Amino acid sequence: MDVFLQGFSQIANVSTIIWMAIGSVVGIILGALPGLSATMGIALMMPISFQLPTATGIGLLLAVYCGAVSGASIPAILLGIPGNPNAIATVEDGLLMTQKGKAGSALGGAVVASFIGGIGSLLALVLFSPLIARLTLAFGPAEKTTLALVGLVIIASVSGNNIWKGLLMGAFGMALAFLGTDPFSNQLRIPFSKFLATTPLSKGLDLTSTLIGLFGISQVFFELRKPLLVGQHIEPVKIENIFPPLRKILSMWKIILSSLGIGTVVGAIPGTGASIAVFMAHNSAKNITMNSKGKLDQVGSGSLEGVFAPEVANNAVTGGALIPALALGIPGDAATAVLIGALMIKGVTPGFHLFATNMSLVYAIFITMLLANIFMASFQLFGVRLYPKILSVPQQILLPLILILSFIGAYAIAGQATAVGIYNLGIALVMGMIGYFLKRDGYPIAPIVLGLILGGMFEENFRRAVKLAGGDYLTFFTKPICLLFMALSILSIVLPIIAKKRGKR
Amino acid sequence: MKRNRIIISMLVVLLAAGMLFAGGAAESVYPDPEKNITIVVPHAAGGSTDLIFRTLAEEMKKVSGVNFLVTNITGAGSATGTNEVINSPADGYMFLGAGTHTTAATMQGLTNGYKELDYIAALNWDPFIIAVRNDKPWKTLEDLVNDAKSRPGKITLGNAGMGGATGVASVGLNLAMNKAFNVTPFNGGADLIASVLGGHCDVGIFSQSEVVANSASFRPLAILTEGHSSLPSLASVPNLAEAGYPTITVPGGSFRSIMVKKGTPETAKKWLADTAEKAFNSASFQKFMKDNGLIPVFSKLDAFAEYDKGIIADYEVILKEANLYKMTN
Repeated sequence: MDVFLQGFSQIANVSTIIWMAIGSVVGIILGALPGLSATMGIALMMPISFQLPTATGIGLLLAVYCGAVSGASIPAILLGIPGNPNAIATVEDGLLMTQKGKAGSALGGAVVASFIGGIGSLLALVLFSPLIARLTLAFGPAEKTTLALVGLVIIASVSGNNIWKGLLMGAFGMALAFLGTDPFSNQLRIPFSKFLATTPLSKGLDLTSTLIGLFGISQVFFELRKPLLVGQHIEPVKIENIFPPLRKILSMWKIILSSLGIGTVVGAIPGTGASIAVFMAHNSAKNITMNSKGKLDQVGSGSLEGVFAPEVANNAVTGGALIPALALGIPGDAATAVLIGALMIKGVTPGFHLFATNMSLVYAIFITMLLANIFMASFQLFGVRLYPKILSVPQQILLPLILILSFIGAYAIAGQATAVGIYNLGIALVMGMIGYFLKRDGYPIAPIVLGLILGGMFEENFRRAVKLAGGDYLTFFTKPICLLFMALSILSIVLPIIAKKRGKR
Repeated sequence: MKRNRIIISMLVVLLAAGMLFAGGAAESVYPDPEKNITIVVPHAAGGSTDLIFRTLAEEMKKVSGVNFLVTNITGAGSATGTNEVINSPADGYMFLGAGTHTTAATMQGLTNGYKELDYIAALNWDPFIIAVRNDKPWKTLEDLVNDAKSRPGKITLGNAGMGGATGVASVGLNLAMNKAFNVTPFNGGADLIASVLGGHCDVGIFSQSEVVANSASFRPLAILTEGHSSLPSLASVPNLAEAGYPTITVPGGSFRSIMVKKGTPETAKKWLADTAEKAFNSASFQKFMKDNGLIPVFSKLDAFAEYDKGIIADYEVILKEANLYKMTN
């Protein structure tokens, strides 16, 4: 208890509260702007955190982290453009809800979901850190290969009406993932390698710029096809109930628990991350609602369930990613890698050592994480009433604005690297055009993203697992976790087919 | 009409004079206090290379009053960040957080690297440590090597990526041990730690801070330098000679330095080298190095160029033998 109080006293001061409030607002804004990710927000704030006491500095960074993850859902719901990869699975149901005039409750639901995810994963962090940390260590290259396989199977479920189009897009995404350098030998694997070798394209496509292009810029082009309705009266957006009724939240307990579990564990496994967790949570919620016998609204139809699942999961990733970061000194994702760096600069080495010698700081970090979530939820609930007003902005202003912000986002992720920034602009533009043609012809975009993210993870870990086994391809069949995941992948293909056949009878 | 022409020509002369003046002014003051100096770190934020340059940047800011900004440009080993520096103007407002990763990337043909860079300052070495999980049977390096030689290719030796310094060190070590190990590259230091802790990989080559962070689970077998670690918890780890391998020499650490694009004005290079020297000698940077077990090897400009020739010679042998040497001309 003494140690806890020591930890509490490290952050029980006005400066911590003020810096965390600032961090939270900055995080939400950065998260909402296309392309500006949580990682970037934390890196931006790092120089400020140098000047602050350790616990206050970490609190500031955690506030930015939680804010950015939650903020990304705002443009995803209102415009169908995710602020960063955390919100890619929120787009489908979020945008449909907005089109149904339920933008307010979608946004409000997302905030509540984010809060539940953040607090739930914090509890896991406080109570089960050592256990989950050990669990994540069980995930070696072979296990991660099969985890990626489970993710790839989800392509079928995000394919919309035409599964063949979905699979084709998934394959396209995987092909894009292989561009760049070979993960083992670093040799170039790009067309026109003679000319592109010394350009930023040599490392492959920048993920964020690709997302900005596929979701943001293509959406602008798509809207431009319709005749512009200049001078037309735009219905003012009504803000109905923002808070989802408690009964509704309680009825979704299965979805919340499964998303929480997925987010925390996937977040804790190094080298995975939120973009995989949100799709897995979305997919799991889809199965839950399908088997709910009409008690829950179907995911994919513009339901609160479809917003809740990925939003619980992406904020659960924040607590999950902190588990290996604090317990083992191994970052769970890119954002926590920067956090570890901020600690090390202060002379604090995370890992077993930290828990053994500086438990008061660990407690201080836990409390700031709680505060970060409270700040995030309060500012977000305040903002939720304002955000939908963006929909009343006439198109001739809104569309150029989105285009400008998208390009700024793609350029800004490169930081000071102007050459990389300019190539990012090119990637975003080309992907925007590709995305436009695909949307026009009814090809789903989400499978490309899944293929792109999982393709790289699959290839790298597959080759590493086989190398570790001395070239033995059967290594995947000797590990229990791998067998479990492979069985899961097969089941998730077979079960819906059986269910459909039964339904027809 | 005529008057207009006179006015225009006067304006042109004025404009030209203004441009000349402005140009002259820009040339004479380096660094322009209005401008930032960018440090390109070719590795991810939060890693050990990043931390060294961020700490140095803070000190360079303090001793010079000029604003230094760190930007992380990752990818292709360290080639993407290196290329960014090579593709930017040689005006002294951008420098590379260079080192052994630059040497390795250049020799693998991923970037023109050091062939298009000039030497500013050598900073320090971060020695590597060979470690295993502490429930593994090998108590000493000799145990491990004997076991590996008795069943070649069965014991896995992980590194943080072929393109980097741990990659070169692991390949060099394996060549010296008659390729007894199965050398496997991982996706960065964190990935390697997790895999060794999880038992997916038997042996790893780590930097000191990585071993300290997991001291409860790791058993360090040897440090790959001539001396010993300056960190109290690792001071007793034997070096290669003490571990029974006095004849083996591998570049057993990662070296960090500052380089700029070739063609940067001499005044700018000298200013950067002097500022780096002052920052390097500051009490807080010295403390940072001591706390993290970094071995200082400061030299600047021509002396550093001479120093780097030794590293290049060491690397060339290992990369050629490992068939990783792809440098043309």
